Amino acid sequence: MIRYLLRFNWALLACAVVLVALGVVFVGSAGAARSVAALQNAWRSHAVTAVAGIAIMFAMAAVDYRKVMGWVAAPCFAISLVLLVVVLLAGAKIYGGRRWLWFFQPSEVAKLAVILFMAQVFGRHGDRLCGFKGFLVALAILVPPSLLILAEPDLGTALVLVPTALAMLLAARIWTKGLVAMILAGLLAAGALLGTVKAAEAQVDPDARARIYSYLPLKPHQLARIRTFVNPDADPYGSGWNLRQAKISIGSGSLAGKGIGKGEAKFLGYLPPSVSMNDFIFAVLAEETGFAGSATVLLLFLGMFAAGTFTAIRCADDRGRLLVVGVLTLLFSHTYINVAMSIGLMPITGLPLPFISAGKTFLIVMFAALGMVQSVAVHGRAE
Amino acid sequence: MRVHAGAILALLALFTLGTAVLAASLYHVQVDDVADARKRFRNQATRRISIPGLRGRILDRNGGVLADSRPSHDIAIRLECFQRSGGWSNTVAAADTEIDRLAAVLGLQRTVARERIARHLRDSSALPLTVWRDIDDATLARFSERAADFPGFIGTLRAERIYPHGTFAAHVLGYTGRGRPDTDMGDTVVHYYEELEVKGRSGVEGYYDSFLSGAPGEKIIRVDARGFRQDDGKVERESARGLDLRLTIDPAIQRTLEGVLAGVSGAGVVLDPRDGAVLALASTPVFNPDEWRQRYREYLDDPARPLFNRAVSGLYPPGSIFKPITAMAGILRAKVDDSFDWTPEDKFDCPGVFVLGDMRLHCWDRYGHGPLPLRTAISRSCNAYFCNLGQMLGTNSLFGTAQAFGLGARTGIGLNGEAAGAIYGTPWYAGHTCQTSIGQGMLQVTPLQMAVVCAAFANGGRIFTPYLHLREEAGQPEPVRRIGRPEDFAVVREGMRDVVETGTGRRIRTREGENRVKYNIKVPCAGKTGTAERGHGRKDTWIIAFAPFDEPTIAMAIVVENGESGGKTTAPLAHMVLASIFGEEEVSR
Repeated sequence: MIRYLLRFNWALLACAVVLVALGVVFVGSAGAARSVAALQNAWRSHAVTAVAGIAIMFAMAAVDYRKVMGWVAAPCFAISLVLLVVVLLAGAKIYGGRRWLWFFQPSEVAKLAVILFMAQVFGRHGDRLCGFKGFLVALAILVPPSLLILAEPDLGTALVLVPTALAMLLAARIWTKGLVAMILAGLLAAGALLGTVKAAEAQVDPDARARIYSYLPLKPHQLARIRTFVNPDADPYGSGWNLRQAKISIGSGSLAGKGIGKGEAKFLGYLPPSVSMNDFIFAVLAEETGFAGSATVLLLFLGMFAAGTFTAIRCADDRGRLLVVGVLTLLFSHTYINVAMSIGLMPITGLPLPFISAGKTFLIVMFAALGMVQSVAVHGRAE
Repeated sequence: MRVHAGAILALLALFTLGTAVLAASLYHVQVDDVADARKRFRNQATRRISIPGLRGRILDRNGGVLADSRPSHDIAIRLECFQRSGGWSNTVAAADTEIDRLAAVLGLQRTVARERIARHLRDSSALPLTVWRDIDDATLARFSERAADFPGFIGTLRAERIYPHGTFAAHVLGYTGRGRPDTDMGDTVVHYYEELEVKGRSGVEGYYDSFLSGAPGEKIIRVDARGFRQDDGKVERESARGLDLRLTIDPAIQRTLEGVLAGVSGAGVVLDPRDGAVLALASTPVFNPDEWRQRYREYLDDPARPLFNRAVSGLYPPGSIFKPITAMAGILRAKVDDSFDWTPEDKFDCPGVFVLGDMRLHCWDRYGHGPLPLRTAISRSCNAYFCNLGQMLGTNSLFGTAQAFGLGARTGIGLNGEAAGAIYGTPWYAGHTCQTSIGQGMLQVTPLQMAVVCAAFANGGRIFTPYLHLREEAGQPEPVRRIGRPEDFAVVREGMRDVVETGTGRRIRTREGENRVKYNIKVPCAGKTGTAERGHGRKDTWIIAFAPFDEPTIAMAIVVENGESGGKTTAPLAHMVLASIFGEEEVSR
């Protein structure tokens, strides 16, 4: 018990608790602008969920990952695949997507399952899978859940799996040269796509523009998001509205912000109420607390990365290290993509901000992820 | 171990770099560009509303109210109270239904159509939409009782212009319409307004519009993303009440002048010859500015043109009332030009007709006046005399003097639409100069110009700009021009006194009552009649007159269209006006 308390990564928890407290405040602030009672009180369920999540985290920290991973990882992965299939068949249809099964989102759970399973496979069998074969195995693990998530459709969640898996593979030194080449190729492809859209946007003739777009393998709403990213003023009242309003909202916060609960953009509905509590909660926070608040949030996340890194380095086995790398990369990907899209550094992707955005499944999953890291912290050290 | 600590640290470095990039971008967006973001937010989330100031009153010389504002009770709908989910048309339908319901309760006819609601929602959803204007007290009371059942409807107050005396001084006051407020407040920000504002369209209402309308205030309201009002707004600047405009109009004289002109087409102007103040100005037929909005079609279509201000915009040939100007041209020329061999005492013979080449110009006395000097020529209005004098003077002298008296140019009275009239300096045909010297031919004047000319004869050669705005603090106005010296006017003034005592304008001074009892104006007066041929047998009949003779306080010009002659038609009108001012006395026989 004393070892548990001594080895527990308190810094990691402290950062998470402060972040989730901010989450309660700003879910409340965003909810105050809504007329539905359930949304006005969303901050309560956020707090309750956070408490439950923290409890789960403490519980998971008590479990020695080295003893359970071997027989838990594969079944977890299999169950999450089953759930992903079930949600496609029986999930509730909300906003044009099937993401919900009863009270939770299987795609969030799948993120953890993938990390767990990959850590198990490459932590245990990394030496045998260090070449191209390892890459094929990784693909075999990643492709089924990704396709199922894309089918929901939930591009954002599918996307964060990519950097998470890449970081784990690179850390485990699986087919390094090939991966680096693929990353470069991927960056080039993204650059080419953006360049093409930019060139098309410069076309005065709408027919010529439409012809270029017809060659791109994108869905209309995806294309609209990329166009908004490349050319934010192309359609300020349509697809560009959210980004434009998020930027105005964040920008008008200045250094100290307008005061908690006093954000005008969300009250007057400029920051669309449908997203102000979830994907764009950073805009609410940044407007009300200014650069001081947004920088504090970034520092807290940075604190979590540093604390997690500490745990990973002190861990004595590959599986533990890979678990931490996976969780940290997932956390970073979410944070980076969410904040970057709010200020137009990246195309808009519907991803929540960890610990702060309202969303019960995701919050539980994030604390569960921290639970895995804590388990590594408590049990993974060399004696 | 496969997973090296270095790899983990490299990952942390990458995360730190990513976070730093975010922090730098956020600093740029939140601190460097804060002004831009706040401006963009303000532009989309606030509306500046112009608040009209209460329009000033128009008063007569004695402080009597000629134009005022009264409150109009309106009922307006706040569309934000009828927001419905789904398309805009749901909101329009909800508002439309409620208006119908309220109409039934109040017993009123609908005045705004569904399309109007939709347009309002599109253009200015932040503002209330007035659905009934100027409701009566009973309806207002009923609305107040039931207001709780009709949330979303509000009673509003608006100022409505009223003219308590109806047609009185209509052409001086002008009329008002409604227009967009002046929102040019020295910036480029778009201003919204709740109601069209009262705008002066003619008369002093038009000319002094900015003086009367005061300074608009400004309030700023916040609107939500759908453009609906969010709060009552904060008043950024209070509106300032417009100033009261006190006119030089003397209500008694104005009433008399309007009375004598009733029933004819014509115009009259009464000035104070000491400073150019307009004591009365009338044009007939007349319109009612209080009913202008209901009846403007009718007014516009009326062939008698009641909206037309004949006193300042009507152009007429002056006829014989121009002769004093011809006389002054001779007198002034003789003073400076030694080669001009003429004195007022010199006589021209009038054989009853003036022959110039193949033109034969008859004097109105077919038998001729015989030889006569200037003073007698004026009192008898002898055409032959003035043709002779005009021929001697030539066009340049004649037109120079006419211009000096202000003909051919706007007086600058301060009414929009004033006509300049016309004098043509180049002889077009033989006898042009002769025709002009008796006020016929190529001459067009306004009654106001002739009143200024009359005032110059009354005051000894001072030309004033006639004015309507009485400003006691402004002090005594200076004349714009002086013609000659006062003594230069002596002969012509004597001639003009003879006109009313023994000449063509006796009816200016004398009225014949019942039983042939005659009444004279109590003070000595002077004047000149004119009967101008307009072609097609139509005559415009004139008088100019001033009184008291020695120290005149009144100068006037009156024209009546389609009269018989100045002496018969118009002189009695001038008598009535002078009698009302100075009184009349029975002539002892």
